[in-house]
Amino acid sequence: MTKKATALYVLRLSLTLFLITALVAAALAGVNGITAPRIAAEKERKTQAAIEKVLPGGGTLVDPGSYDNQGGLVSRVFASDAGYAVEVAPTGFDGAITMMVGVSRDGKVLDISIISHTETAGLGAVAAADTPDGESFRAQFRGLSGELSVKKDGGTVDQLSGATVTSRGVTRGVSAALKCVASLG
Amino acid sequence: MTTYVQTLLGILISALLTENFILVKFYGICPFMGVSKKIDTALGMGMAVTFVMAIASAACWAVYNLILVKLNLQYMQTVAFILVIAAIVQVVEMFLKKAVPSLYKALGIYLPLITTNCAVLGAALVNVQKGYDFLQSVFFGACGGLGFTLAIVLFASVRERVEKADCPACFKGFPITLISAGLLALAFMGFSGLKLF
Amino acid sequence: MNFRKQFFEGLLTKNPVTVQLLGMCSTLAITTSLFNGLGMGISVTIILICSNVLISALRRVIPSQIRIAAYIVIIAGFVTIVDLLLQAFLPELSQSLGVFIPLIVVNCIILGRAEAFASKNGVLASAVDGLCQGIGYTVALVVMSVLRELLGSGTFGGGLLGGGQGYTVIPDPYPAMKIVMPVGGFLTLGVVIAFSQWLVARIEKKNKKKEAAKV
Repeated sequence: MTKKATALYVLRLSLTLFLITALVAAALAGVNGITAPRIAAEKERKTQAAIEKVLPGGGTLVDPGSYDNQGGLVSRVFASDAGYAVEVAPTGFDGAITMMVGVSRDGKVLDISIISHTETAGLGAVAAADTPDGESFRAQFRGLSGELSVKKDGGTVDQLSGATVTSRGVTRGVSAALKCVASLG
Repeated sequence: MTTYVQTLLGILISALLTENFILVKFYGICPFMGVSKKIDTALGMGMAVTFVMAIASAACWAVYNLILVKLNLQYMQTVAFILVIAAIVQVVEMFLKKAVPSLYKALGIYLPLITTNCAVLGAALVNVQKGYDFLQSVFFGACGGLGFTLAIVLFASVRERVEKADCPACFKGFPITLISAGLLALAFMGFSGLKLF
Repeated sequence: MNFRKQFFEGLLTKNPVTVQLLGMCSTLAITTSLFNGLGMGISVTIILICSNVLISALRRVIPSQIRIAAYIVIIAGFVTIVDLLLQAFLPELSQSLGVFIPLIVVNCIILGRAEAFASKNGVLASAVDGLCQGIGYTVALVVMSVLRELLGSGTFGGGLLGGGQGYTVIPDPYPAMKIVMPVGGFLTLGVVIAFSQWLVARIEKKNKKKEAAKV
């Protein structure tokens, strides 16, 4: 094969591959156009469900105005007559734990709900599970206020066995939510 | 700073033991079954996978965070990652052949198999899912590869003996191999309560 | 077209999981409930049919030097489409299969069938091949799921029947929880493959006898 023919052949190979990739990309863009709004809506529904849980009977939600985002830990805050729902994303044992913390007007934790996480199944994941252990872990935050820490660090929060780092993460998230609400005045 | 080091140590322990890529997460079962007949080939495969996984994690992190996120094309991640991995495997193969022939001799035959090894793509996807930064991603890739190596070498030494064992005809071959792997996985479950802090 | 032969091959004698030992990552990892097994099986079947059809249709256009790269791109495209659709319309399934949906890209069954069948055969035959192999894969996953769920969680049809909880067959303290954990995956697959080897050996014996009788 002459040099020119080889170059042409390589060009043809690259062009074919490029065309296939372009077609795939176009198809994906089309599908994404249909699914993206639905995926976003699904995520929003989950957030709403979490707010509903931590801030029961809260009435209409309003924007609380400017707040201190605690070094980026707080992503969103919703206010209502009953109090505030604060979305925080502290780091656990393994990646971020996205959770909703309900805080009453007088600065006490109403309830917490974990929206998504990637903690270890059977250990850290217990924090978010619908099991008696998980329920009691989350329930202990109710009514707490001020700066929180786990018992191992001299605080009041019972850490989950074998999942101190996860427990610490959740506790840090709750603390950040409380401080954030305090910054609202 | 301490928390950052803690995170890295957490990644090390989980990728190596408590969430071992093969025995707990089931990434890369095909090479685990295919290349675990002898200890030395298993070691070669393990090293090749570790090497590619560390590089691929770095490259996929860069592609995702510097290109896909900027262009709002996150949905292209699977397509982009598999192309990046295939390209890396090719480049690594060519580079080793030219630059480090001795290493190429040892790892060369395993490299083409790695493109379709789900451990490599798995590591890249998990890095995105967990939002690891660059250093954490590379570290996760390398540790995952070491975990893979640990499991495959241990298993190869078990398997050399199982081959000679007498078992019912219908269990010969893969069934008995899988059951031995199950016992190894059971042993690794002992690590699951392991905590560092 | 001998549809019956292809179907039988996909289901038993050349079953992708129990005989060809392909796509074992997902087989071991997600077969913890009927919902997961069925969902994964159907997703893979759809992707397998689509990629087989497209690759077969393009088999004269794609030069052989870049065929693997082209196949991988096509497969990755279909996998992403299914991934996005699941996230949008079946979020529960998407959540519980997690990273194993995008990992279908490197599921050897799909690339294997593209290389071994679709690149050499017509569109219709490739579609049928995709369907049969997909059904074989789905059946293997469902068998694994039902066994593991029954022994491990003591339920049947989790995530799908009985209001999402499944029907309890074995009451609480008795199920062997380890079976839904990784260990159980290896053990169950070992036993399932052993059973299929036994079945195939039996059928072969019968066929030989039949042939011997004919002669």
